[in-house]
Amino acid sequence: METPVSILSVKDLVIKFNLRGKTLTAIREASMDLYKGESLAIVGESGSGKSVFNKAFMGLLDKNGWVESGSILYKGKDLANYKTENDWLKIRGKEIAMVFQDPMTSLNPLKTVGKQVQEAVELHQGLRGEAAKKVVLDILKDVGISEPEKRYRQYPFEFSGGMRQRVVIAIAIACRPEVLICDEPTTALDVTIQAQILQLLKGLQEKYSLTIIYITHDLGVVANVADRVAVMYAGDIIEIGTADDVFFDPQHPYTWALLSSLPQLGIKGEPLYTIHGTPPNLFKEIKGDAFAPRNPRALQVDFVHRPPYFEVSETHKAKTWLLDPRAPKVERPKSIENIRAQWGVL
Amino acid sequence: MSTMLNKPNDGIDETLFTLAEYDARAAELGGYSNYSYWRSTWQVFLKNRTAFVLMIIILVLLIFTMIQPYLPNQKLPNEIYLDPATKMQLRNHPPDAEYWFGTNSIGQDLWARIWSGTRTSLYIGVVVGFLTAILGIIVGAIWGYVRRLERLFTEIYNVFDNIPTTVILVLLTYIMRPSLSTLIFAMCITGWLSVSRMIRNMIVIIRDQEYNLASRCLGTPTGRVITKNLLPYLVSVIMLRIALAIPIAIGSEVFLTYIGLGLPVDIPSLGNLINEGRLVMMSASLRYQLFFPAIVLSIITISFYVMGNAFGDAADPRNHV
Amino acid sequence: MLRYSLKRILQSALTLFIVITVVFLLMRLMPEEGYFGTGSDKLDAAQKENILRSYGLRDPMYLQLKNFYSSLLKGDLGTSIIYRPKVPVSVILKGKVFYSLYLGLASIGVSLVLGIGLGILMSQYKGKLWDKLGTVYIVVINAVPAAVYYLFIQLYTTEWFKLPILFDVDKPVSWILPIVSMSLGSMAGYAMWMRRYMVDELNKDYIRLAKAKGLKNSAVMVRHVMRNAFVPMAQYLPTSILLTIAGSLYIEYLYSIPGMGGLLIDAIQRQDNPLVQALVLIYSAVSILGLFLGDLLMALCDPRIKLEHQGGSR
Repeated sequence: METPVSILSVKDLVIKFNLRGKTLTAIREASMDLYKGESLAIVGESGSGKSVFNKAFMGLLDKNGWVESGSILYKGKDLANYKTENDWLKIRGKEIAMVFQDPMTSLNPLKTVGKQVQEAVELHQGLRGEAAKKVVLDILKDVGISEPEKRYRQYPFEFSGGMRQRVVIAIAIACRPEVLICDEPTTALDVTIQAQILQLLKGLQEKYSLTIIYITHDLGVVANVADRVAVMYAGDIIEIGTADDVFFDPQHPYTWALLSSLPQLGIKGEPLYTIHGTPPNLFKEIKGDAFAPRNPRALQVDFVHRPPYFEVSETHKAKTWLLDPRAPKVERPKSIENIRAQWGVL
Repeated sequence: MSTMLNKPNDGIDETLFTLAEYDARAAELGGYSNYSYWRSTWQVFLKNRTAFVLMIIILVLLIFTMIQPYLPNQKLPNEIYLDPATKMQLRNHPPDAEYWFGTNSIGQDLWARIWSGTRTSLYIGVVVGFLTAILGIIVGAIWGYVRRLERLFTEIYNVFDNIPTTVILVLLTYIMRPSLSTLIFAMCITGWLSVSRMIRNMIVIIRDQEYNLASRCLGTPTGRVITKNLLPYLVSVIMLRIALAIPIAIGSEVFLTYIGLGLPVDIPSLGNLINEGRLVMMSASLRYQLFFPAIVLSIITISFYVMGNAFGDAADPRNHV
Repeated sequence: MLRYSLKRILQSALTLFIVITVVFLLMRLMPEEGYFGTGSDKLDAAQKENILRSYGLRDPMYLQLKNFYSSLLKGDLGTSIIYRPKVPVSVILKGKVFYSLYLGLASIGVSLVLGIGLGILMSQYKGKLWDKLGTVYIVVINAVPAAVYYLFIQLYTTEWFKLPILFDVDKPVSWILPIVSMSLGSMAGYAMWMRRYMVDELNKDYIRLAKAKGLKNSAVMVRHVMRNAFVPMAQYLPTSILLTIAGSLYIEYLYSIPGMGGLLIDAIQRQDNPLVQALVLIYSAVSILGLFLGDLLMALCDPRIKLEHQGGSR
C-alpha cells in the first residue's frame, strides 16, 4: 500500500495571547500530521483552540497573539518562523485557503460577488478581464450556483446563506490551493443545506485533488466526511486516528465523554448525558492532564504529570495515562460501545 | 495493546496509577470571570495618561476657581482700580506683582475677572449639560417607548436637526434679548437633540434586543436587568455628554458675545473677556489681554473634551481587552 | 432609486414647510423696535401702531401666514427696513450670494480632500507619529471654540505671512485665510470619521477573507477598506455643510467678506427684522437641501440602500 505523504507537520506548537495584560496559552504543545489528499476533521468544544490552531497555518492570528514555540513544517519550510507579510503571501490562497464560518459577514457587502471571486482568480491564475470572468463563471457553476451570468453581477445580500457559503468556497477554490481549511463550514446553515455543502466539498476535493481540514464541533459532520479525526481539548490534540479508530475504539476519556454526549445514543425517557464541569482556565498553567478535573475515571498521575502520546496502532494514538501498562483496566462507557450498531443514525 | 512512546523508566511513582477521587466541584472551577465592568472601565481610562493628567489639571483648576475669591489679596472683578500716583484709571496695565494678569482697558483686574469669568462659563456649561441630559432623557424615553408618538417625535427631531444650531441660537438670543437665563435656555433648546436621539436608540434596542429578553426569561428581576444591562451604557453616555457639553457651551457663548448677543458686560465671562481681548490684540503690548483668557479657556475646553472622549472609549467593553 | 429620491424630496419639502412656518411664528416674537428704524423715539404710540399695521403685523396669524406664503411663492422675501430701507431683500441678497457660495464650496472642497487624506494617513499609521499629530490637531480644533482659534489664525498669519486680514475683491490672496480657517473645522471632522470608519472596517470578517485570499495589505486597504469606509462618510457630508453655513457667519464677519453670513450678523446688530427673517429662512432651506443631497449621495454609494429603500438612518 502506498505510504501516505505528509504535507503539513505540526510539532509541539505553543501559541499565546495577550489579554487584558495577562497571557493566555491557547495552544499547548499540539502536534499533528496532515496527509495529502485526505479529509482530516478537528473536533472540539468551543474554546478548545481549533480555530486558533488553524489560523496559525496562514498567519491570520489576531494582533495580540503569537507563536511561542514549536514548528509548522509545510513543504520543507517552517511556517512558525514566518513573520513578514511577504512570507505569508506565498502561502495564503496559493497553498492554503480558508473557508470561514459565517457566510453573512465573510463577503464584502458593497462589492458584487463576481468581482470578489474574480479578485482571487486574477491573483492566483494570472488572468485578467474577460478571460478571468470566464473562469469565474466556470467556478460558480462548479460550486452549484445556477445562472452564473446573472449571479455574477449581484451583491451578497441578494444571496441566501447556503448560496453565500458556496461563493466563499468558490473564492477558496479559485486560489487553486493544496490545502483547504473549512472552519465550521456548515454551522451557520440549515440542516438541509449542510448536507449539500458537504457533498459539494467532497466533489471539489476529488476534482481539484484537495486536502481538506474540517474544523467542527458536530460529530455528525465528522462521521460524514472525515478520513481521520483529531480530538482537541484545552489547546492540545489528545487523540488522533482514522474515523474508525476514534469512533469505534476511542481511548481517551474525553473522547468517551464526547461520544457519550451524542443525542442519538440517548435512551428514551432518561436524561441525556452531559460532561460535568467547564473547560480549564488557560490563563493558568495546567498541571498534568487538562481533562483530569472533569474525568470521573481519572488516575492520580493525571493530576501530576502530563501524559505523552501512546500509540494504539500505526494510525491511532492518544495522550492518556490509561494506555500506560502500569495503569489499571478502565472500562469504556457501555453506551458508546453501541456506536457501530448506531452508525447509520449518525 | 499499547506501546509507550517515551522511556520505560520515566521515574513516575507506580502508586500514582490508581483511580483518583472525583471532586465534582473542582470540575466547575475552570471558568474564568473576575471581570467587573466598572473596574475595567476605570483601568482602561487610567491607562490613557493624557486623559489622566488632564483630569488632574482640571480638578486643580476647578478647586482653584472655587476658592479663589477667598484667598487673601484678591481683587474684585468689576472694580475699576486707580493708579495710586495719578489717581486716574489704571488702564491697560501690563502684568506685574500687584496685578498678576494685568488690567484691561478700563482698569479692571484681569486676574479676578478671568476667574470670575471661568466660574460663570463653567456654571453655564454644567447647568446646560445637566438640563440637556435630563430633557434629552425624558424626550428620548417617550420617543422610544410610546409607539404612537414615534412618528411625531421623529418629525420634530428632523425639523430641529435640519437647521444649523448656530442659526437657532442666534435667533433665540435675538428674540429674547441677551441675559444669563436666555443663554442657558437657548443652549438647552439646541442641545437636547443628540441626547434624546441616543436615549431613544437605546430604548429601541431594549425593546428589540434579545439579550434583555433572554435575561427576563432566565428570571432576572427587572431591577437587575436595569442595573446590569442598561445602566452601564446609560451612565457612560450621560457622562460623555456632560463632559462635552462644557466646551460646546463655552464655544457658543464666545460666538454669541462676538456678535453682540452674549452676556452683558458687567457679568464677566470667558466670552466677554476674549472679545475684549480681541479688540486690542493687534498691538503687541496689549496682547496679554487676549492670551490669558484664551489660555484658560483652551485648558478647560481641551481637558473636558479629552476626558470626555477617553471616558467614552473606556466605557466601551470592546476596549476592555 | 427613483422611488427613494421622490420619497426623500417629499420628506424634505414637508420638513422645509414646517421649518419655515415655525421660523415665521418665532419671528413674530422679535422685538418690535426692529420695525421702526432710526428716529423711532420720535414716533408716538399711535404712529408706531400704524407702522406695524402697515406691515400686516396686527393681522390675525393665519392671515399673516397666508400673505407670507403667497409673497414667498412669488419670490418676494420682504423688504429691508433699516439696513437698506425700502430695498427688497432679494435685491440685497443678489450681490451677496456669490461670495458666500464661493467661500462655502471652496472650503468644502479643501476640507474634503485634506480631511479624508489625513484620516486615511492616520489610520495607516495608527499609534505612530502621523496619528498622534493628527489627533492633537483634531482635539484642539474640536475642543477650542472656533471663535478663539480663528482669532489666533488671524493674528499670527498677518504677522508671519503678511496675508491680508480684510477681504478685498481685487486681491485673490485675501481669499486664503478665510477659506483655510473655515476648512479647519470640517477637515478635523472628516479626518476623525474617516479614520474611525477605516479602523472599524479593518476588524470585519470580510477583510480577513480578503487577506486569506492572499491579497496584499495595501490592496486590501484600497480596494476593500477605503471603498467601504467612504459610504458612511457620505453621511457626514450633510453635517459638514451645516457646519460650513454656521462657520460662514463667523468668518465673513471676521474678514469683512460681503456675503450672506456677514449680512445676517449686521442685520442682527442693527435689528432689521425682515432681513433677519429672510436670511434665517434661506439658511434653513439651504441646510435642508444640503441634507437631502447628502442622503442621495449615500444612496448612490451604497447599493443596499438603492435596492432596499432604507430611509436615511440619521
